[in-house]
Amino acid sequence: MATGTERRLEISAVGRTPLVIAFVVVQALAFTAAYSVGQPTWYAYFIVGSTAVTAYALDGTSFTVATATAGSLLMVALGLPLFMFVARQTPSLVVEKALNPDVHRVLYLGVYGPLLAALLSLLCGVPLAHLLAKGFSGQPLVESLVDLPLVVPHSVAGIIVLFGFGEGGAFPQFSVLGTMIGMVLAMAFVSAPYAVNASREAFEAIDERLEYASRVHGANKWETFRRVTGPLAVRGMITGGVLAWARAVSEFGAVAVVAYSVTFFYPFAGEEVTTKHAPVFVYNTYLQGGLEESGAVAFLLLAVSAAIFLVVRYLTDDGTAGGMP
Amino acid sequence: MTGLTADIRSTFTADGAEPFTVDAAIEVESDETCVVLGPSGSGKTLLLETVAGFHEHAGVVMTNGTDITERPPEKRGFGFVFQDYALFPHMTVRENVEYGTRYRESSRDADELLSELGVAHLAERNPPTLSGGEKQRVALARALAIRPSVMLLDEPLAALDVPTRQALRDDLADVLADVTAVHVTHNRTTARAIADRIVVMQDGQVVQRGTPEDVFERPQSPMVARFTGSNVIDLSAAHTLRRVLDDDTGSQARFDGSGRSPFDHDGEADDIGTDAADHVAIRPEAIRLDDADGDLSATVERVVREDATNRVTLAFDDVTVEAFASSPPVVGTETSLTFPRDRVHRC
Repeated sequence: MATGTERRLEISAVGRTPLVIAFVVVQALAFTAAYSVGQPTWYAYFIVGSTAVTAYALDGTSFTVATATAGSLLMVALGLPLFMFVARQTPSLVVEKALNPDVHRVLYLGVYGPLLAALLSLLCGVPLAHLLAKGFSGQPLVESLVDLPLVVPHSVAGIIVLFGFGEGGAFPQFSVLGTMIGMVLAMAFVSAPYAVNASREAFEAIDERLEYASRVHGANKWETFRRVTGPLAVRGMITGGVLAWARAVSEFGAVAVVAYSVTFFYPFAGEEVTTKHAPVFVYNTYLQGGLEESGAVAFLLLAVSAAIFLVVRYLTDDGTAGGMP
Repeated sequence: MTGLTADIRSTFTADGAEPFTVDAAIEVESDETCVVLGPSGSGKTLLLETVAGFHEHAGVVMTNGTDITERPPEKRGFGFVFQDYALFPHMTVRENVEYGTRYRESSRDADELLSELGVAHLAERNPPTLSGGEKQRVALARALAIRPSVMLLDEPLAALDVPTRQALRDDLADVLADVTAVHVTHNRTTARAIADRIVVMQDGQVVQRGTPEDVFERPQSPMVARFTGSNVIDLSAAHTLRRVLDDDTGSQARFDGSGRSPFDHDGEADDIGTDAADHVAIRPEAIRLDDADGDLSATVERVVREDATNRVTLAFDDVTVEAFASSPPVVGTETSLTFPRDRVHRC
C-alpha cells in the first residue's frame, strides 16, 4: 500500500500545470453536462465532491481535505452564479449589444473613468503610502481615514462627496454633480484605499538598509526614491492601481448618487456624449428591459474588465506567483 | 591626523522595546582601522549608523577636523558596508558599484575595483544570484568606489561561512590598509586580525579602548576579559592560585581585595575598585601544562580538538580555566598548571 508521501510523489511526477488543466477541463465538462440536462444543482455537488477527492489525492491528510471541502462551498457561492450567468446568455442579444454604439460609449466610460480615478488614487496615494510605511505621529488617525471608505456604504460615500465638493462644499468653482469630475472623485473616494494599502505594503517590504545604502553613498531622498525605493515598489503600486481601477469599474452606489449620467469627450465620435457609468447603465437596463437585456450588457462589461485585468496581470507578472509546493 | 571623531549621545526607542541609550566616543586616526567590539545588543551598530547620519543624536561627528554633525548621510562622504550586504537587487553588480559615483567629483573605476576584489566576472550578474562572499565583495567595491573619507563596516563578515570569512578578512585588511575605517564586530578573532585600535562596548557605553595588545592582554574588566577570550578567575574561589600569586610577591595583602597587586596594568588599580580586585585574567594560550615545577595541580575535565591544537578545560579549587595543549591530556587525570606572572592581570 502506498504511503502518503509516495502518493504525493506520484502526483507531483505528473506535473502541476497538466493537473490544473485537467481539473479545469473536468469541471467545465461536468458543468456543461449538468447544465445541458437542466440539473445545475448536480454540478454544485460535483464541485464539493471533486475538490475533496483532489485534495485527498494531492495531500492525503484529513486537515487538507476538510479545508478544501469547506473552501469549495465558497467556490459554489462565487463560481456557480458566474458560470450560470455566462451559460444563460443569448448569443444574438450579446452580439446586438456589442454592436450598439450606446453600449460602446458605456464600455468606454466604464474603462476610462475608473482609469482616471485609479491614476488620481496613485498620484496622491503613493506618497501617502510611503509616509505610512515610514511611520509618523498620529498615523493611526490617518490610517483610519484611509480605510474609512472600505466600511462606509457606497451610497453614503456618494453623499459625503457631494457634501464635501458639491454645492456649498469646499470648492464651489468645480461642479461635481453629474460631471466627470464628480464621477472620478466618487470613484477615487471608494478605490483609493486599495491603491494606498497595496503601495504601502510594497514600501514596507523594502529593506530599510537599501535606502540607507543609497543615502550614505551619495543619493538624497528624492534620488533614493527615484532609483531604489520606487523601482522596488513599482509592482505593488501597479497592483494597487489595478485594484483601484477594478474597484472603480464596479462602483455603483457613490457614482449613482454623484454622477448618475455624465457628459464627456468621446474620441471615437469626435464629440461630447452623455451616458452612464456601466454599473449604473446595467442597473438602468435591468429596471427598464429586464434580466436578459441587462445580462447581455453586463456580460460585455465583464468580458472587457476581465480582458484588461488579465493583460495587466500578464504584463506585470515576474513569474514568482506560485501555488502549493 | 585624526580621521574621524565621533561623540554620540542618544536614546533610541524601538516599538515594544525598552529605550536604549548610546553614550560613546570614538576617535580614529587617518588610515587607521578602529574596531568597535562588543556583544550583540551592545549598541555598536546604532553607534555606526548614527555616525553615518541615519539617526539624530546629541553629540558631534567630525572628519579631518570638519564638523559634519548636521550634514545628511549623502553629504558625509562615508562608505558603508552592511552585514546583510544591502545590494540593490534590481541593478547589476556593475550598476551597484557605480551607484554612488555620479554624486562624487572623484571616484574609482567599477571594473578595476571588481577586478581588485576578484569578482570582475560577476559584473553583469544581479545580486540575488551571488553567494554571500561574492555579495560582500561587491558591497565593499560599492563603498570603495566613491573614495570615501571614512569606511564604516557593520559586521561585514558575520553572515559568511568560515573559509569565506577568512579569505575576505585577509582582503579587507589589504584594501583598508590606507583607508580610515570603523569596523563593528562581535568577533574577537576578526578584531584582533584587522584592528589598529579597538573600542569595546557594552550596554551603549565604551568600557575599554586601546591597541589590540592592550585590550586582549590587559582587559580592564571581567566582561572585557571574557569577551576577548581570556580566563577570568575569581580569586575568592581559587585560594590555591591566590596563595601561589601572593607567595610569589611576598605580600598577603595584594590579592585580598585591598585594591593593588603586582600585576596591575599601567598602575591604574585605584580606578578599578576593590570589588574587581578579586578577579584576574589570563589568556588560555599563556597557561602552561605539565611543567615540572608548576604552580598548582588541576584536573582535566574536557578536551576539544581545535585545528592544530587542543582546548583543555581544567578544574582546580572551585574554578575552571581553559588552556591549549599540543598533545591532548587524558580526561580525569591530574596535570600541573603554570601561570606566567607577566600574563596574569587584575581586572
